[in-house]
Amino acid sequence: MGSRVLGFGLGFVMWALGFVSEEISVLRRWLSPALRAAFVKEVGQIRRDRQVVRAMIIPPLLQLLLFGTVMSPAVTDLKLGIVDGSRTPVSRDLIAALAESGSFRLQGIYPSANELGTDISDGLLDAGIVIPSDLPRDVGRGRPARIQVLLNAMNANTAAVSEGYIEGILQGFNRSLAAGGVDAGVRQVAATGAPRRGRAVLHPAYLFNPGMVTTWFLVTGLLGQLLLMNGMITSSATMVREREAGTLEQLLMTPARTSEIIIAKIVPPFLLLGIPGLIALAVLRFYFQVPFRGSFTLLAVASAACVFCGIGLGTVVATLTKSAQQAQLSSFFIFPPMIALSGALTPAEAMPAWMQPWAIVNPIYHFGEISRGALIRGGGFPELWPNLAALLIFALVLMSVSVWRFRQQLT
Amino acid sequence: MRAQLRKELAQVLRDRLALALALLLPLLQLLLMGNALSLIVRDLPLVVQDLDSSPASRRLIDGFRGSLTFRVAPWPTDRQPEAALTAGVARGVLIIPDGFHRSVLRGVDAPVQILVDGADGNTARLLAGYAGRVTAAFNVEQGAAVQPPVSAEVRFWYNPERSSKKFYGPGIFVMGLSMFPPLLAALGMSREGERKTILQVYVSNISAAEFLLGKVLAFMIVAFGQCLLMLATLFIAFDVRLAGDPVPFLIATVLYAFCTASFGSMIGAAIPSQVAAMQAVMMGGFLLVFMLSGLIFPLANIPDGLRWLSNLVWARYYIEIVRDAFLQGGGWSAVWYKVLIIGGIGGVFFGLGWRRLRRMQLEH
Repeated sequence: MGSRVLGFGLGFVMWALGFVSEEISVLRRWLSPALRAAFVKEVGQIRRDRQVVRAMIIPPLLQLLLFGTVMSPAVTDLKLGIVDGSRTPVSRDLIAALAESGSFRLQGIYPSANELGTDISDGLLDAGIVIPSDLPRDVGRGRPARIQVLLNAMNANTAAVSEGYIEGILQGFNRSLAAGGVDAGVRQVAATGAPRRGRAVLHPAYLFNPGMVTTWFLVTGLLGQLLLMNGMITSSATMVREREAGTLEQLLMTPARTSEIIIAKIVPPFLLLGIPGLIALAVLRFYFQVPFRGSFTLLAVASAACVFCGIGLGTVVATLTKSAQQAQLSSFFIFPPMIALSGALTPAEAMPAWMQPWAIVNPIYHFGEISRGALIRGGGFPELWPNLAALLIFALVLMSVSVWRFRQQLT
Repeated sequence: MRAQLRKELAQVLRDRLALALALLLPLLQLLLMGNALSLIVRDLPLVVQDLDSSPASRRLIDGFRGSLTFRVAPWPTDRQPEAALTAGVARGVLIIPDGFHRSVLRGVDAPVQILVDGADGNTARLLAGYAGRVTAAFNVEQGAAVQPPVSAEVRFWYNPERSSKKFYGPGIFVMGLSMFPPLLAALGMSREGERKTILQVYVSNISAAEFLLGKVLAFMIVAFGQCLLMLATLFIAFDVRLAGDPVPFLIATVLYAFCTASFGSMIGAAIPSQVAAMQAVMMGGFLLVFMLSGLIFPLANIPDGLRWLSNLVWARYYIEIVRDAFLQGGGWSAVWYKVLIIGGIGGVFFGLGWRRLRRMQLEH
């Protein structure tokens, strides 16, 4: 644990230093007093604007914490009702096996299938099981017996997972019956006299996540979305504010060149956005206990690219809109499709086939692949370079478009 | 009041951006998110490391290949099986050990291992379940095995084909209705405050209640238009049909439109700045709905300490009513109190907005 914390801290410092040193060399090359002044002005402006700083840190972190806590696809505590038509030790054993499994919470024993059905349709039960009256007789005689399982399949995923649970419980129950000397198959096979073949027995092992924590998937995907949205909102807000205050023209009067104004507009927000980004990573590591197994550098570069994509998008939006209100409204057009096609909340592979190619043009999708691959699966550059390349290309394209738009506005 | 209503509608129709927000965007959102949200990965990539390479192992692999859920690819036996998961090539690795065929012939249990990528816990669980079923079918087919003494006959009620979009489509429909009408209402109301046109309202002979009702009715009409468009989409593109008595759904829709339009107007009256009002509506209309109404994940998964919050979220009741109307068909007996709660919450929003307007009038 200690060494991991140390590694994390070191990575953190390296990341910060990397960018700071880059800044210094840029400054040294140009060493233009105008650029330095523009820098100081931008940093001061953002820092003074309490609202922007607050909006930059609090909502994204709150969202990460809330989404990660509240949203979970886990299927647990399913409400189960049972109709026991036989009332014998065998059926009671089966009911006990279902109740003890931990996946189901037994709500009650119903006298008839009709009443069970009513409670399912009223939403009081997620699943119902009807045990036929001839179950013990069939089991006793070695005849295959069937129980009826009714699942509320409105939520297809819950139904699919519940089906798996019930089959798992029945397998265990059948094994215990076999151990008790009851095995329909053995008797049947023995009767026909054919030699018995061996069974293939499947042993599943869950790699990377033996505890099956479903939150990890969600928060690692969400991280990209938050980095990008945060970058976009911050940059469009500062840009629009500058224009509404009418100080953009004043910038042009300063001795700074256009390129210097642009650099000063982009770099300080980027550095500042690194702060909530790092806090978010710390939340992932220490609050949600996401393992950091793979390349942290890769993740840091991907995060930076994601923030750049956000800044680029935000700048483009700001140059296309007339007011803060319009800039905000336009985000309604951008975010829903972006979130829907990102694979951040639900797996991208689960989308219909015609939609899946569109995920490739979504930076959040690539970031999710990188964060999951690097953090949970322990991957690095050799496995994840295509996603990183895509992300860097997006960052580059979006930044170029935004610089071009911004230049147009300045002239 | 009628004049107020007409003025409000004219304003929405004139503003192209507002019109797009009211009608086009909800539709786009429904088509995109309703289709994209799904937790069930079909066509799972599975690589196989066949160390036995015998007739029996090939039959087992054929079983996996034949099931529609897996897409099987070979994996060289000299490479680490975990690498297939790290590289993202596969979601699972099936390893058939040496001696599989021999064990099967001798009548001994033959172990087979499947490594599952746990990075996505839900998919991992589904994959393990599918793989278990394929193996069980293989055993029965072999004749080796044995009909299990007790087996389950599963019926999937309300959604027999287990389609995700029939579940998420109606949910996104509710999200659209919870987001856009209140957004427009809040913008319309705060605009009056921002531009001080509300002062003209004070000096006219229209009362605060009439003024508010006119606004709310106008945005209810916007909501109905949006609702019709989205319902048509649900019927055509999502194959959703009415499952039972539509009356509770229709009444709930009217009340829900009233509830969200009142919510927007209340926010707009309380916050006379369009940008800030928009943020507040996003909190209530989008974030709360998205997280605390059971839209994507079951409400039962919310930790106990936070779950009670979902009882306050108006969209939660409407989502349950809509899903009941289109999938479950429980009718009045299942949803009557939810309809009442929506009406109640709407009344509270309207009351608060009205009080706020009256107090503002005194302040100015």
